Amino acid sequence: MITYMIKRLLLIIPMLFLILLVTFVISTFMSQNARLNQMEGLVEWEYILAERERMGYYDPWYVKLGKYFDNFFRGDWGTSYIVASGMPVTTLITKIFPKTIELVILPIILIPILSVKLGVTSAKNRNNWKDTIVRGIMMLGVCIPVFWLATLVQYFVGTSLFNFTYGTFNLDITSPNSISMRYPNSAWPFSTGFRLIDAFLFNDQVLLQDTIIHMVLPALCMTVIALAGITRQTRASMLDVMQKDYVRTARAKGVSETDVINKHSLRNALIPTSTAIVANTAALLTGSLFVEMSFNYTGMGYFMVSAIRLGDYVVVNGILVFNAIIILSGTLAADILYTIIDPRIVYT
Amino acid sequence: MRVEQKTDNIIIKTDAIQKKFELTKEAVFRYIKFFLIPGWRDPEFSSKEYEIDKIKSKRRLFRRLLTPLTVVGLGLILFITFLAVYAPWLTPFTLDQATDGGISGITPFLAPPTPGHPLGTTKFGYDLLARVIWGCRTAIVFGFITIIIASFGGIAVGTFSGYYGGRIDSITMRIIDFVLVFPAMILVIIIVQLSPTRNLLMILSIFGMFAIPWYSRLMRSSVLQVKQELYIEAAKTGGASNFKIMFKHVFSNAISPVLISFFGGVGAAILAFSGIAFLGFGDDALPDWGTDINYARARISAIHAAIWPGLFILIAVLGFMLLGDGLRDALDPRLQKKNR
Repeated sequence: MITYMIKRLLLIIPMLFLILLVTFVISTFMSQNARLNQMEGLVEWEYILAERERMGYYDPWYVKLGKYFDNFFRGDWGTSYIVASGMPVTTLITKIFPKTIELVILPIILIPILSVKLGVTSAKNRNNWKDTIVRGIMMLGVCIPVFWLATLVQYFVGTSLFNFTYGTFNLDITSPNSISMRYPNSAWPFSTGFRLIDAFLFNDQVLLQDTIIHMVLPALCMTVIALAGITRQTRASMLDVMQKDYVRTARAKGVSETDVINKHSLRNALIPTSTAIVANTAALLTGSLFVEMSFNYTGMGYFMVSAIRLGDYVVVNGILVFNAIIILSGTLAADILYTIIDPRIVYT
Repeated sequence: MRVEQKTDNIIIKTDAIQKKFELTKEAVFRYIKFFLIPGWRDPEFSSKEYEIDKIKSKRRLFRRLLTPLTVVGLGLILFITFLAVYAPWLTPFTLDQATDGGISGITPFLAPPTPGHPLGTTKFGYDLLARVIWGCRTAIVFGFITIIIASFGGIAVGTFSGYYGGRIDSITMRIIDFVLVFPAMILVIIIVQLSPTRNLLMILSIFGMFAIPWYSRLMRSSVLQVKQELYIEAAKTGGASNFKIMFKHVFSNAISPVLISFFGGVGAAILAFSGIAFLGFGDDALPDWGTDINYARARISAIHAAIWPGLFILIAVLGFMLLGDGLRDALDPRLQKKNR
């Protein structure tokens, strides 16, 4: 087991190098000579040539690749020039990743609970009205476009409940209790990046209320979408297990129905579901493009899309590598969890 | 229990028939009638045949397919296909008028419904109904061609790697794992943004390329099962070439999971394409549901321009997904026991 884990961890290293290679290729195609575009028209042509020489514009590709790797492992991921101009990508990620984590807290808590409950309920009452309702809603959840759902939710909740406002922050700028008054230049002495934790640290109720109100709707949208697939999988695997011989044996022995479901069937049905949940959690942490774009929630997905649209290849590369690391560690965690849940599987 | 009783009855009756086949007077008359009168059948026998057929026909594919949900899905697909095929007859606006040029400037942007424009107008004063109806063509073309590219590529890659095994298999599987590490949507968007011209054909071919890994995994697992069968060994000992075994025996026996997942894949592709268009990376020269939602989503006073295209996305995807689910339930050999 431990040797297997070490082997898997070592396998990540060549994977990481390949990911860096791909991002390097993307950046060579995507870079529109960022620095040179900024200088063009402002300085003499000779200065531009000198700057090109200094940047290594004329270097062969292997030198560029070596420099890219070198900079990456020394923690210099480049500096964004359009999306968050002048800010290093590592700093940008430390600023936006906490926001995505905050957004994802609610789905991560809700999805495992709800999906297992709903899946078991619908498998237990197969072809019943309960089953039909659950299956119908989950079918809609698979088919509905997230951005459309987000638009509808924004419109209808925004018109009916006045606490949810469109686009703008519901934060009174002159409120004596808000951060903007206490720290006028928003240069906080210390900030964790998590707005929820900051609100408690600074004892700022307006910020807390504002953060929660702006998080609830996108989090619920993400929950509905991610829930659908996992519930369907839970139901399928639950139905599969309930046909098995040992479940029939348990029923014949006179085990109570709740024990048959909870101890004999569910334990075995959860094996594929749990890996799906872990993989889904990793995917959620990379940030949902559609939800964040349609709610204008400035997390990872929002910055990814706007960086691609504006051609800020440094930010694109940084977030892409970061996402790939998250997904790799997620699959690793899923594999290890698999051995813990199902002791029959032995990796060597 | 009911079925058992029926079969018991049948066995008893067949015993009776066998008794009647002894050459009695009646039996001889029956034979004579059968040979002389054209089209004459023993009424007892034909009633028995009818009963057997009734049991048999339940097992037939078509009967198993015709569950209510599948019929609903088929109806939705027919509706979308009808709109796509008869688009020029269903709207007074041509494709040019719904995309660029045409009536722009005459009608106001994002206007509420009027008799001239039953669903109102969207950006640049285009008629929303016309754009929704012409958008069916875009969606269906994108969905089908993408999945055809993806499944063909996946079948080729999966068959080769699964059949040869060994080093080829491990290398292709590593490549596929590596491609799956990246979120496919982000890579598609990056490549679409990089390319100088942006048209539907290019977007769908890129998307199809990135969908190949899923299909090749599906195909590979199925090929690995089929490879162990006896008839493959028989073909090998018979001296068939690798190529012939692959494409005659393995391919035809292992293709069913890919075929089953075809319609579900079309639905997912339509959803993904509307997502790409929503993010602003679609083809601007074509009417598209996702683009319309992207334009209208921030304009709260004109929410109708966002509702209708989204409803059509939902209808199209729901139709294909329901049909795909129905097909899987009817055709998947693992699920057949449960459904009986």
